[in-house]
Amino acid sequence: MRIILLALLTVTALAAQVRDEDILKGAGENWTTYAGNFEGWRYSPLTQINLQNVANMVPKWTYHVPESNGLRTSPIVYNGVLYITNSNSVHAMDARTGRLIWRYDDGLAKRKGVNRGAAIYGDAVYFTTTDNYLVALDRRNGALLFNKKFADAETGTISTSAPLIVKNKVLVGSAGGDTGMRGFIAALDPKTGNEIWRTWTVPGKGEPGSETWSDLHEWGGAATWLSGTYDPASNTLFWTTGNPWPDYAGKPREGIDLYSCSVIALDLETGKLKWYFQFTPHDLHDWDAQSWPVLLEIPWNGAMRKVVAHANRNGFFYILDRETGKFLKATKLIDNITWASGIDDNGKPVIIPGKEPTVEGNWVCPGVKGGTNWMGQSYNPGTGLLYILTQEECGMFTLSTQKPVPMKNFAGGAATEPGGPVLIRAVDPKTGKRVWEYPVGNYSRMWTGTVSTATGVLFSGDDDGHMIALDAKTGRHLWHYNVGDTLTASPIIYSVDGKEYVAIAAGTNVFSFGLFEPAQPMALPAITMEK
Amino acid sequence: MRILAALALPLLLSAQHDVSAGASKNPAIQDPVAIAAGAKLYATSCGGCHGPDGIGGRGPNLVRQLQSHQLKDDELFAAIRYGVPGTDMPPTRLSDAETWQLTAYIRALTGPASDSKVPGDAAAGERLYWSAKAACADCHAILGKGSRMGPDLSNIGGSRPLTYIRQALTPPKNDPSRNFALMGKEGVTVTMKNGVVLTGIARNRSNYSLQLVDKQGDLHLINMADVKALTVKDHSIMPEDYGTRFTAGEMRDLLAYLATQTIRPSETGAK
Repeated sequence: MRIILLALLTVTALAAQVRDEDILKGAGENWTTYAGNFEGWRYSPLTQINLQNVANMVPKWTYHVPESNGLRTSPIVYNGVLYITNSNSVHAMDARTGRLIWRYDDGLAKRKGVNRGAAIYGDAVYFTTTDNYLVALDRRNGALLFNKKFADAETGTISTSAPLIVKNKVLVGSAGGDTGMRGFIAALDPKTGNEIWRTWTVPGKGEPGSETWSDLHEWGGAATWLSGTYDPASNTLFWTTGNPWPDYAGKPREGIDLYSCSVIALDLETGKLKWYFQFTPHDLHDWDAQSWPVLLEIPWNGAMRKVVAHANRNGFFYILDRETGKFLKATKLIDNITWASGIDDNGKPVIIPGKEPTVEGNWVCPGVKGGTNWMGQSYNPGTGLLYILTQEECGMFTLSTQKPVPMKNFAGGAATEPGGPVLIRAVDPKTGKRVWEYPVGNYSRMWTGTVSTATGVLFSGDDDGHMIALDAKTGRHLWHYNVGDTLTASPIIYSVDGKEYVAIAAGTNVFSFGLFEPAQPMALPAITMEK
Repeated sequence: MRILAALALPLLLSAQHDVSAGASKNPAIQDPVAIAAGAKLYATSCGGCHGPDGIGGRGPNLVRQLQSHQLKDDELFAAIRYGVPGTDMPPTRLSDAETWQLTAYIRALTGPASDSKVPGDAAAGERLYWSAKAACADCHAILGKGSRMGPDLSNIGGSRPLTYIRQALTPPKNDPSRNFALMGKEGVTVTMKNGVVLTGIARNRSNYSLQLVDKQGDLHLINMADVKALTVKDHSIMPEDYGTRFTAGEMRDLLAYLATQTIRPSETGAK
């Protein structure tokens, strides 16, 4: 059986291309897209690792990523090969052993920065360089197929997110919103990198929504620095947007600053805006609307309803109607919220006056990192719960009186990050209520999200550099392992040759865990050196 | 042949683009006269340890260095002048001007080929590259065209020095490091315990696993416990007869073409 499996793996399976339907069916043996499936669940149907045997989980291999620091990458896996990104580079490794197969480096890129991952489609692996090139590489040997610039780094835009690939379109976002730029989402041709459409997240002069800005709005930000989600039934993309710029200074941008701090629904074919919902109008605290919008179908007033669930940096958890963007409900994601007393029936925050940044400094909760952040949420259809990393951190927000100058590291002020309790919270999307919580630290240094399995095991990390496993139903501790570094990325799950693995980029290394198996002593094969 | 090649090198390297000149403060950098003077100084002061064309010997190979670890001009200048403490690399007694000439030569020798204007016809080199006579595409790909078995050449000009590329095409004979272009990409034949035989290039190999790309360009991830026998070539499977297969003119044309292969053509000045 082993031999047959190997023969299949080495001869047939690796030849298969990644098709739309492979990505559409979501995670399983493979993990082909940033959040595991188009709906943004970070959920695995695999069942080998369960509540009982997870206690026997051990590291299977470690891969050190040279020249890395605080890796943000979420691995993708296809047919036994695991792909990760670092700044301007992709590393492909044997997912069973962590042995490098190929590595691509763009040593000529003009910027260096974090990268959140790759995407896979056909026979190509895609990622973006920090200076906004879409790069397509042959998945088998890392050979360059093309690289094409989709934005100019000289306009303040950089690229950090993993592309999302849907029906012959590579969707890329934009980053850099803390120093002035104009956000967009672009659909690019996977064969050439040519632009199919581009939708700006800050309207152009005279376009609808431009009246919600005053000066400087061509530098208004609303970056799109995390991969979005996709609804195949309505052919709609859902993407969240970042803060308006300057982050802490509202004077140069009087108005609600559309479409910053929002979720926008776009038609996949044209990029046309179907609807938007703004969580934090005229944001003054750098509360980007990252994380990604999770697509669910839940009972609502006696019928099933398609919704968007979103845990926001401003401290609230939202449920919106997926077809129209209509506000349905918001609840408190965290306890410490001092800037708004709640969310009204129209979805607008009920502002508590006097909480804006000031020259002297103003203590506001949540702090700049927010009630949650880009580590996002995961959803388990078995428990019906969302798992959200939350932060009860507050901070001092100060305002600068300097004249804003774009691309000069000017954010209109500053904010402190003194630390505070971090908790994984299980939230029921039907009610918005928290079902359980598990403390994961007090430093607020980590950036690790969650992933869960069909057997009800939830994986995440803590502030002390532990990978952890919890019971997804109750939050009970099951397992932990010290990776020896601050965790700054989220785990994923895959399997090869019938063995299940949980992988995470941990600081400067990639770890892959699986169930303990005693080593099988082996005779080394006869090696003949040929002259 | 080897001596001729070494003598020809300064000429090959003498006409430099001004692509990365903006970063250089000293006028010697990329100045053809300074480079030629530096080549002479290299032969007397450096070649004894670092080998002709910087291919290494008692001292490290200079052309095989990864570009991302390349020293800045002033660091290179300091290493030449003061030596490298804790190693056999001694200080030199050259004047400032001579040290900059030497720095300019080393920079030309070790910088990416796309920074060099190679005296050949790149268009003719392109035709030769894709011809049956050269058969480069049987093993190598450029921008997705060609075989996946050998190393991709889409960025060969942007990532490797001209000397490196030339030596890969015409490896110096009887040099212990003549297979430096191999870089672990050994030709292997694997006989599996189930009888399957696979031939290709190892992308990575340990006692316990082997990652192999075969002639069809398919990737095989092999557990060594499933391998009965393994044959590893101790030299590159790259043909070694290009020195006789091509005329000197053809070789220049091919080098000119390869030097333009870069992932950032619009930014490096290459075609």
